[in-house]
Amino acid sequence: MINLRNVRKFYGALEVIKGVDITVEDGEFAVFVGPSGCGKSTLLRMIAGLEGIDEGDLVLDGKRINDVPPDKRGIAMVFQSYALYPHMTVAENIGFSLSLKKVPETEIRRQVEGVAEILQLTDYLDRRPAALSGGQRQRVAIGRAIIKKPSLILFDEPLSNLDSALRVQMRAELQRLHRELKATVVFVTHDQVEAMTMADRIVVLNKGLVAQEGAPMSLYHQPQNEFVATFIGSPKMNVIPVTATRTSAGALHLDSPIGLLLDLADANGAVPQGEAKLGIRPEHLKIAPEGQGHFTAEVVIVERLGVETYMTVGSGQQPIVVRAEGDIGVRPGDRVSLTADPAACLLFDSAGRVIRPATA
Amino acid sequence: MAVVSPSETANKSRSDLIAYATLSLMSIFCAVPFFWVLLASFDGNAQLFLHWPQQWTFANYVKVFTKEDGAKWLFNSLFVVGSATLLVMVLAGLGGYALSRTRAWWKLPFLYAILLIRVLPPTALVVPLYKFLLTLNNAEAAVLRPIFGSYARDIMRWTGFIDGYLGLILVLATMQLPLALWIMKTFFDGLPRDYEEAALMDGATLIQRIRRVLIPLALPGLAAAGLFAFMSAWGDFLLPLIFLSSPELQTLPLGLFRAFLRINEIDYGLLTALAFIYLLPAVVAFGFARRFLVQTFSGGVKG
Amino acid sequence: MARNSHEKRAERQWLLILLPSLVLLLAFVIYPAVYSIYLSFTNEALTGAAALRPRFVGFRNYVRLFNDAKFWNSLFVTFVFVIGSAVIGQFLLGLISAIALRRPIRFRRVFSSIILLPNAAPEVVAGFMWISMLAGGDNATLTRIVSFFGVTPADWLQVFPLSMIIIVNIWRGIATAMILLTAGLSTIPAEIYEAARMDGATPSQMFRRITLPLMMPTILLYMLISAVSTIAVFGLVYALTRGGPGGATEVVSIYIYNQSFTAFQLGYGAAVAVVALVISLILGIAYVRAMKVEV
Repeated sequence: MINLRNVRKFYGALEVIKGVDITVEDGEFAVFVGPSGCGKSTLLRMIAGLEGIDEGDLVLDGKRINDVPPDKRGIAMVFQSYALYPHMTVAENIGFSLSLKKVPETEIRRQVEGVAEILQLTDYLDRRPAALSGGQRQRVAIGRAIIKKPSLILFDEPLSNLDSALRVQMRAELQRLHRELKATVVFVTHDQVEAMTMADRIVVLNKGLVAQEGAPMSLYHQPQNEFVATFIGSPKMNVIPVTATRTSAGALHLDSPIGLLLDLADANGAVPQGEAKLGIRPEHLKIAPEGQGHFTAEVVIVERLGVETYMTVGSGQQPIVVRAEGDIGVRPGDRVSLTADPAACLLFDSAGRVIRPATA
Repeated sequence: MAVVSPSETANKSRSDLIAYATLSLMSIFCAVPFFWVLLASFDGNAQLFLHWPQQWTFANYVKVFTKEDGAKWLFNSLFVVGSATLLVMVLAGLGGYALSRTRAWWKLPFLYAILLIRVLPPTALVVPLYKFLLTLNNAEAAVLRPIFGSYARDIMRWTGFIDGYLGLILVLATMQLPLALWIMKTFFDGLPRDYEEAALMDGATLIQRIRRVLIPLALPGLAAAGLFAFMSAWGDFLLPLIFLSSPELQTLPLGLFRAFLRINEIDYGLLTALAFIYLLPAVVAFGFARRFLVQTFSGGVKG
Repeated sequence: MARNSHEKRAERQWLLILLPSLVLLLAFVIYPAVYSIYLSFTNEALTGAAALRPRFVGFRNYVRLFNDAKFWNSLFVTFVFVIGSAVIGQFLLGLISAIALRRPIRFRRVFSSIILLPNAAPEVVAGFMWISMLAGGDNATLTRIVSFFGVTPADWLQVFPLSMIIIVNIWRGIATAMILLTAGLSTIPAEIYEAARMDGATPSQMFRRITLPLMMPTILLYMLISAVSTIAVFGLVYALTRGGPGGATEVVSIYIYNQSFTAFQLGYGAAVAVVALVISLILGIAYVRAMKVEV
C-alpha cells in the first residue's frame, strides 16, 4: 500500500505540488489523470525517487521512503519513451538490473526467460529494440520492470506514443497483465478514456492539487466539482449558466438565457438562490415532441456515428451537445425540443463547487 | 534533478567539485600559453620567457606598423583571406544548395569525393600544385607581356598565379571549399522545401527564388561556413610560404615567422605585438563561430 | 530520376551552379594529386642535372624510399605523433571536458570558451607561444612550473622534442574532441540514465555499460577525423622544431617539405607525398564508410 501525505514540491519559489494526499491499496490499478501541467508526471517521478519531495511523506508498506534511493524502494518504472538500452538485446535489457548486482549468468537467464514467457517475448530475446514494434518495446520495458519483483509499478504515459489501434490493444494487454501479476500499479495519462477504462481508482489532478479521487463510475456520476465533471466523460458535460429561484413548492426553478426552464427537486433546501451553473451530460438530454421540452434550439451540427448521434444545438456562446441513440433523421437547421433529466442535473456555484449533486 | 537521499546529495556535490577542479586545471593549461603574447606585447623590455612587465607601453604595436611592414602584412592577409572567404561563401552557398536539391546520379560520388578530398594532406599536394601554377603563370606572362610590356609585372602581382594575389586567393578558397560545401549542403538539407515550392507556385524563376527566398534563409549557414573558412584560411601558413616570394605580398604568418628567425637580437615585444595582431581576427571570428560549432560538428558526425 | 523537361532543366541548373566549384577542385586538388603520382615516377628536381631534362625513372624513387631510413623515421614519428596526440591525448582530455561540462555547474560557458580557445589560435602563433613556454632557458614557463614541484627541468625542445610536440598538439586539439564527443553524448536520451538509475546502476557502471558502448560510433568517427587532420599538421611542428633536432620530430608533412623545397628533389618528394596520400585515403575511405552519407 502506498501513501502520499501532504506532499509538496517547489521549483524555486513556484509551488508545483501543493499538498497532495493519495492512497493506493495493494493490487489496485490507480490512474493519475489531468491536463498538461497538473503535476501528474512530477508526482510519479517523486514516487519513483527521480525527483525530491520537499514536504510531506511518501510511505510504502508502512515505511517512509522519502530518502531511500530509487533502486532500493522496490518500485519499478516504465518510461514514456520506454528508455530501452538501444545497444543491448531484449534479454540483456530485461536482465540489466540483475547483472548490475552480479547475479550469476544462469540465474539471470532463468529469470529473464520466465518474464519473457509471461510477456510473450520468448521469440524476441535476442533482438535489439530497434528491430521491435512499439507494442513489443513496451512489453520489454514492462519486463525490465517486473523482473525486479517490485511492490509497485509506475507507468508514465506509456500509450501516448502508440497509434490508436495499437493503443486499444495495449490497454487490454495491460489490464490482462495487471490481473495476472496482481501488481499494484500507478499509471499516469492525460487521456481520460484510458483512465476510465483501465482504472480501479482514478485520481484527477489539477494545478498541483487532487481535484477528486475515487472509482471511475463515482467520478462520472458524482463529480465533486466542475473541473472533474467536465474533465471526465466524452463528449464533455454541458455547463449552462442559470438563475435559480425558489418556488412555492420548495423546488428550484431554473431560468437560463437560452430559454431553458426547469424545476429541480431540492429536498434539503440547501441550494442558495441566484446565479449558478447547470451541468447535464449529453446523454441525459432527450428530444421531446414539439413544444413539450424544457427548451427548444436550432440544430447546428449533426455527427452520425451509426450506433449513436451527436447533435450540437444552439449557437454562439451556448452550444449544447445532445446524444441520441441510433440514427435519427435530424438535419442541420431543424428546430428541436429537448428535455433534461432532472435527476441527472448538477448545479455548480460560480467557483465550480457542486451545490446540488445528481440524485440519479 | 534526481537527488533523494542525503548521502546522494553529498555525492552529487562531490562530483560537481571534481568537475570544477578538472575544468579549472584544463582551463589553466589552455590559457597559460596565451599570457606571454598578451603581456610581452605591452612590455617595454619583453623577453622570450613569461614575466610581468616592468614598463607598460604601446611602443611595440607602433613599431609593428612603422619599423616593420606590419601594415602591409595585415592588409595582405585581410585582402587575401577576405577575398578567399567571400569566394568560398558564394560558391559554397550556391553549390551547397544545388548539392542538396539535386537528385542526379553524380550526387553521391560528388559527396564522397568531397569527403575524400578533405582528408588529403596539403603538403602532399603543394609540389605538383606549384608546378601547375608555375606553368599557368608563365602562360599568363607570355600573354600579358607583349600587350602591357613593363607593366605586366605589376599586373601579375594581382592576377598572377605564383607570387600573385589571384593564385593564392584561388588556392586558399579551393582548400576551404569541401568543408564549406558540406556545411551548406547539410544546412539546406535541413531547410524544408516548402518555401521554395511556395515561391515556385508563385511563379518565381530560379534566380528570383535564390535571391528573395534562399539567401535570407541561408544566412546562418553562410555565416557558419564563412567563419570556418576564414579561420582556417587565416591560419594557413604553408600556402603563402610556398606561393609568395616578393616582400610586397607577404602575409602576417610569414612576417611573423620571419621576424622570429632573425639571426641578431630578436625583438620579442615587437614579435608578440605582431602575434597579437595576427591572433585577434581569428579569436574574434571564433567568438562569432562559437554557436555554430556544435551544429556543424554534430552535423559532421551524422553526415 | 528527372523525367519531365521541367525537372531536367532544374537538374541542368544544379550542375551549372556547381561547375565553378568543380573546376576549382579539379584544378587545384585532384589534378595535383594525380600529377603527384606522375611526378613520383620521374627524377624531377629543381637543381642538378635532372632539372634540365627530367626523365621517367619508374619505381626508382620508391625503391629509394624503401631503403631510406629518414623516410621510415618520418613515418614512425608521424605514427607516434598521431597516436599520442589525437588518439590518446586529445581524446581523453576532450572526453573528460565533455563529461565535466555536462554537470550543472556555473561558469560553463567560460570554461568551454577557454578550452576551445587554443583551436582558434593560428598555427604559427600557437607554435611561438609554446616556444616561450618551452625554450626560455631557465625561465621557460614549463621549467618554472616543473621546478616548483621539485622535478629537474631540461631543455624541453631539445631533450624531449617528440613529447613536446605531442603535448602542444594535444593542447591545440582538445577543442575538436570535446565538440564531437559532446555532440555524441547528447544523442543519448536522459531517460536511459534514469532507467539505469531505477535499475540500480552506479555512475561508473552507467559509464562503462551505457555511455561508452553507445558512444562507439562517435568515437570511431572522431578517431578517423583526428588521425587524418593530425597527419596533415605542418605549420605547428615547423614553427616549434623545424622537424629537428636531427629528425626527431620530422613528421611526414615536414619530410615532404624538406625533400621538395630544401633538397629540391621534386620527384622523390612526390613519391613520399604519394605514400602520405595513400595512407590518408585509406583512412578517408574508412571514415566515409563509417559516416553513412545521406543523399
